[in-house]
Amino acid sequence: MDNIAVVDLENLKVTLGRREILHGITCRLGVSGKGKAIGLLGPNGAGKSTLILTLLGFLRPSAGRARILGLDCRRSMGEARSKIGYMPENDSFIGEMTAVTFLRQMAELSGLPPKAALEKAHEVLFHVGLGEARYRQLRTYSLGMKQMAKLAQAIVHGPELVVLDEPTNGLDPAARRRMLKLVTEMKNEQGMNVIVCSHLLRDIELVCDEAVILKDGLIVHHCNLEEERRSNRSFVELEVTGDDRNLRAALPEIGAEGVSEGAGRWRIVLPAGVEVEAIWGLAARQDLLVRKLTHRRDTLEEIFLKAMGHLAHTPGEGAALDAGSSTPPSSLEAGRP
Amino acid sequence: MAVYKRGYRRYAGPLTGRWTRFMVLPRYSWERLYQQRLVVLLTMAAFIWPLLCAAFIYLTNHAELLQGLEPEFRAFIQVDGRFFSIFMYVQAGAAVFLAAMAGPGLVAPDLANNALPLYFSRPLTRWSYALSRLTVIVGMLSVITWVPGLILFGLQVALAGGWWFLANWTLGAGMVVGFLLWLLVLSLVAMASSAYVKWRVVAGAVSLAFFFILAGIGAMIDEVLRVSWGHLIDPAWSVNRVWCTLLGVDPPNGPGAVASIVALSGLIALLVVVIERKLRPVEVVR
Repeated sequence: MDNIAVVDLENLKVTLGRREILHGITCRLGVSGKGKAIGLLGPNGAGKSTLILTLLGFLRPSAGRARILGLDCRRSMGEARSKIGYMPENDSFIGEMTAVTFLRQMAELSGLPPKAALEKAHEVLFHVGLGEARYRQLRTYSLGMKQMAKLAQAIVHGPELVVLDEPTNGLDPAARRRMLKLVTEMKNEQGMNVIVCSHLLRDIELVCDEAVILKDGLIVHHCNLEEERRSNRSFVELEVTGDDRNLRAALPEIGAEGVSEGAGRWRIVLPAGVEVEAIWGLAARQDLLVRKLTHRRDTLEEIFLKAMGHLAHTPGEGAALDAGSSTPPSSLEAGRP
Repeated sequence: MAVYKRGYRRYAGPLTGRWTRFMVLPRYSWERLYQQRLVVLLTMAAFIWPLLCAAFIYLTNHAELLQGLEPEFRAFIQVDGRFFSIFMYVQAGAAVFLAAMAGPGLVAPDLANNALPLYFSRPLTRWSYALSRLTVIVGMLSVITWVPGLILFGLQVALAGGWWFLANWTLGAGMVVGFLLWLLVLSLVAMASSAYVKWRVVAGAVSLAFFFILAGIGAMIDEVLRVSWGHLIDPAWSVNRVWCTLLGVDPPNGPGAVASIVALSGLIALLVVVIERKLRPVEVVR
């Protein structure tokens, strides 16, 4: 069980009409039963939704193979679907039903006995914050409530894998935080694997352990956000006045590396555990006057922009190479949130 | 512990079998349908004719009650194929109206609310979804068609004795088969109109109009071209022709039972294709 990938794609090609949407994707994402979240990123038309619909068995691959939780998406889809919960992007519900009835029906369709389905319907509605509104018809719900109801139906039967398509669409900041908290709880406390498809990089950064970036039907980047997070690097953009010729040599004192961009401007990489205060101390020791200091963490946005080809390299990376810096490109390339 | 006090936990108990899951949609649909007063009223009204027929069977089997009647009239009122065919015409008519009322609520709400991806992401195939929706309407119409028909048949057997059963068992079988054929056509028409017309009232009107319009076209073809096969376009006529053969009563003028069955098979296949094209979890723009 430990070695079964949540999603296993082998040269997967999907054609809609005459157009090939996915051009032979091969990858293994997640490990079944570990309670990890996989983020699916990409611009419009990249093939994210097509991939999700193929994994759910809604679309047939024209070539290659897709497995979900070790089960073939064509041959064993019935078995696979009993282990999956799906939250679609668009409104999907039965307007005339109350939330409890709707969830109970969905749970029973997934194989729960009627009594257990009723219990779980109530339980999950309280869990997502719709407890007080559970006897209201779904058509009377606000957009945020409908999103929560969709999440509730996706987890009511306790699936091993939950596929969430744009889960924070149309949510206000508070509701978005709540949704992301629920998703985090699903994987951390319930041990569910989660696939999150979103345009919002911040959402993926917050909840996912792995991220896959799709572009034009191909995977252009696959990164382990957990490892990136663990490496805990951060970046400093520094602007100083004074003689900064010795700064490069002094940076290793605090374990940092950096490159000069001229005119007193520096880009510095801080390793894990080194706080930005160390830069202030170093500048003081070098008799430098700090005019500007911007401290930021490398974000998924940077990885995304690089994967899309909008950004040639991580800021400072090219300069570091030009300057013959010892900073390994890979450590800069692998950004972290 | 109260449900609001305990947190969410994944379900880890036993799962139900395939057939139990298949019956989930019909159960919920029936529950919703019989919450509509009009459906309940129409269903109850549809029992009036079977009750009258039951009274008729009782009368025909009690000679002492008919002693005052003319011998010709006594010979006329018999429980035979003609009796069951009249029973079937009336109940089939009631079934058309009930199907037009209940049918649009089957698929249209799921399509209008984009609920199909939710169903099909569960262990429910498109065919089992379609069959379970078909079960809703067939089950509902069975209550007013072949079920009371069989009860009447059983009543006649009970009153007339085993010899009557041995001589007329084909009537019972023919009635059930005939009704099931009609229910299949009705259900598919109701489902197809429900799948294509999202507005319930219009979908109901379309499924009613379907039979009237086809009957009109059939009659028009016969008149204009001076042929008789135009009747085959009318599913009600074709079903009636099959019933006549099954019950052994005089058939109407026109094509035979085999031609009617072929025409009905074509219509059923066409309706299945129409429904299949619509019941998809995602619409692919090619």
